[in-house]
Amino acid sequence: MGLGKYLLIRAINALIVLSIVVLVVSALFVKVAEKELESRIQEIVNAEYQSLVQQNRAPSDPEAWKMERIKYYRHLYKLDQPYHIRVLYYAKRTITLDFGNTRIPIFGTERNVKAIISLALPRTILLFTTAQIIVIILGLLLGVKAAQKVGSLFDRALSVLALVTTSIPMWWFGMIMLLIFAFKLGWFPSNSMPNPNLTGLDHVLDVARRLVLPITTIVFVLFGGWAWVTRNIMISTLQEDFIMVARAKGVPERKVIYGHGLRAAAPPIVTMTIFSLLGSLGGAIITESVFNWPGMGRVYWIAIETQEINLVMGLTFISVVLYLAGVIIADISYGFLDPRVRVGASAKM
Amino acid sequence: MRWVDLKESLSDFWFEFRREKTGIAGLALLIFWIVVAVSAPYVTEPNIPDKWKTIWIENPKVVPPTWSSIFSGVSEAPHEVIYPEELQKYVQSTTRGLIIDIPYNMKYDVPPQDIVLMNISGKADGRLRPSLTLKIVRPDGKEITLLSGVKIKGTTTIQVARDSGVRKTVINWVKGETGIQLDPSKELQLVTSIDTMRVLFAQISPDMLEYPKALQGEYHIVFEIKTPGNTSVDLSNAKLILPGRTYGYLGTDDKGRDLFAGIVWGSRVSLTIGVATAVLTVLVGIFYGVAAAYFGGWTDEIMMRFQEFMASIPTLPILILLGTYFGGHIQLWQIVLLLTVFGWVGVARVARSMAYQIKEQTYVEAAIALGAGSGRIIFKHMMPQLLPYAFAQMALSVPGAVLAEASLSFLGLGDPTQVTWGQILHDAQNANAAVNGYWWWVIPPGLAIALVAFTFVLLGTALDRILNPRLRRL
Repeated sequence: MGLGKYLLIRAINALIVLSIVVLVVSALFVKVAEKELESRIQEIVNAEYQSLVQQNRAPSDPEAWKMERIKYYRHLYKLDQPYHIRVLYYAKRTITLDFGNTRIPIFGTERNVKAIISLALPRTILLFTTAQIIVIILGLLLGVKAAQKVGSLFDRALSVLALVTTSIPMWWFGMIMLLIFAFKLGWFPSNSMPNPNLTGLDHVLDVARRLVLPITTIVFVLFGGWAWVTRNIMISTLQEDFIMVARAKGVPERKVIYGHGLRAAAPPIVTMTIFSLLGSLGGAIITESVFNWPGMGRVYWIAIETQEINLVMGLTFISVVLYLAGVIIADISYGFLDPRVRVGASAKM
Repeated sequence: MRWVDLKESLSDFWFEFRREKTGIAGLALLIFWIVVAVSAPYVTEPNIPDKWKTIWIENPKVVPPTWSSIFSGVSEAPHEVIYPEELQKYVQSTTRGLIIDIPYNMKYDVPPQDIVLMNISGKADGRLRPSLTLKIVRPDGKEITLLSGVKIKGTTTIQVARDSGVRKTVINWVKGETGIQLDPSKELQLVTSIDTMRVLFAQISPDMLEYPKALQGEYHIVFEIKTPGNTSVDLSNAKLILPGRTYGYLGTDDKGRDLFAGIVWGSRVSLTIGVATAVLTVLVGIFYGVAAAYFGGWTDEIMMRFQEFMASIPTLPILILLGTYFGGHIQLWQIVLLLTVFGWVGVARVARSMAYQIKEQTYVEAAIALGAGSGRIIFKHMMPQLLPYAFAQMALSVPGAVLAEASLSFLGLGDPTQVTWGQILHDAQNANAAVNGYWWWVIPPGLAIALVAFTFVLLGTALDRILNPRLRRL
């Protein structure tokens, strides 16, 4: 089967999954937001009435006037439509990338959902993707080292460290880091919001200082797991026949490990890399909240707390799209890296 | 399977397990946690989950554990309660009423937080009421009257340190003793900010208001209760509390709750949620994967599309949303259900690929040829083959469930009828525990979460190595 056809099937598949997710999510959010909208309409109408009274232009029949206004807003927010129509309306808008505005400005003055996401996403990339890259490099290096000397003190220590760090809740470790390094020792700022008065190099240094604690937290909690998985994959690869042949031929050990071994172990590692990098784009809701880092996770949490349906829909949509893109990229790269493997639909055709 | 076979395979398993050091460590930790969870009502009190919702008036608020003074080098007064029976010993009757004279040996660098006399109830007759006067007699012979003529009606509790009248009295006393002058704005500030007890138990010096230095020795806390006319007071339930600057094994939070009790009780929720979710998740996942592989073709295709759909839903936001949907709190069984609904995905994928291999084996084909039903083949022939994988997977998915429950509780969406570690951390975050340096409120619950997760990681990796032979050479 050609790559083109395979890609097409995968893409159609992803689109179907995407539209179902959007439908389900909008169904949930419409329900949650309903009550909130009703009470907000009440508030708006009351406020309008009050301002009319203050201008001495109070309507002669307040009750009828209020009913009229409520009806108007109910129509505006589509509350007079049946439930399924509203769900479809939100779903359609989301799929056509029309996320609308939020009620309350997020990040100071911004109310456009697309603008908010394009503000938050780079910040999350800056934090989580940087941390993730450090994690991957550190994990790979340490994992390969441990696989070279299975059973050594280094290997055992790394394994124990890996098991311990993966058991730690990331946000709790973040709290501890804040407690020690921000409040007890005062080495780093506790708030991750960059200082708006600084520009140029000062701004970069300011952001860098604020990045230290969150990045250390993420790296510490995640690198052990990476090292452990790399170690396990490498150990089984290093026992394969072609490694023995390479060694028998007198290929230098460095080349055996990195040239032959790591290359053969690449497919699962690449898949893991792609998924962690994509996963890092969504941020981690709680970790970002603990550090008050103004990225995707923090926005997600604010959006859910303040019931900004539009924002939640937009964020969910973006993260699902990223995930599905990751699945496709991972599948394709798998095929490229290891010709023996044909994954998923391609395997059967 | 016959009983003998089962016994034999179990003893085989045990023989192998014994050689896994990590597994033994995990098992020891698991036994420790089970003991902690089971003994919670006996080690602490049986009504902690109910009591947790209230404010623990008798306890000091946000104080570190008693052992923390070992590290700081400053000895701080521990929590002391004089219970009714003991209190009776200090009561003397006089013609005008009662005098309670309690000796207090202050041998610490920091005195207690407060003096609290609880549950003293007065019976009044007509317009007369019993009244109370509180004096402190210091080791240097000085005497201070903190309260005088406080009327007792019904059941009364007397708290000294937070009373602004008492603060003024103390400041005036210091001014009288030392002769210092205070400008009015400074005095106003002191009235709201001074630590009454520290000044009260300090050596007399001109700077004792700002830098009180403890005066050690025997103090007397004297309550004089006047009972005019036909009035009387009942002290049978009265107790005196000297709230400490430290408390118990793990200190207290801002509601005075004993964090040790909370952490011991939290183990129950963590273990239950973790194990229940892991077992359910893995069973559902394996069944789903095996069914997909067994039916194959279009059914498989559709089932895998559904699996992909479930996998692409961002779990935590949906859980948070459902939390708000359920009225702000998710009950324990709902958490288990939700974590299962979103958790089976990964297991299903692996189980399917393993089931595809099993399906090709001759005995499955033979069973199909003999006309066995789908249910029989799936449950009787295919699923048991996956059990080794399942057991290891169950242990390995406990940490995820424990962390997920803690995360939800941390966000304030947990079950309000339970005490959980996540909720303790949530309260800590709300009270800015990290900012204020309340380390005893932040570190222990997180360590407990990590330790439970670690227990199952140890067990899981050991089981994985024994039960999944392809990993044995690692």
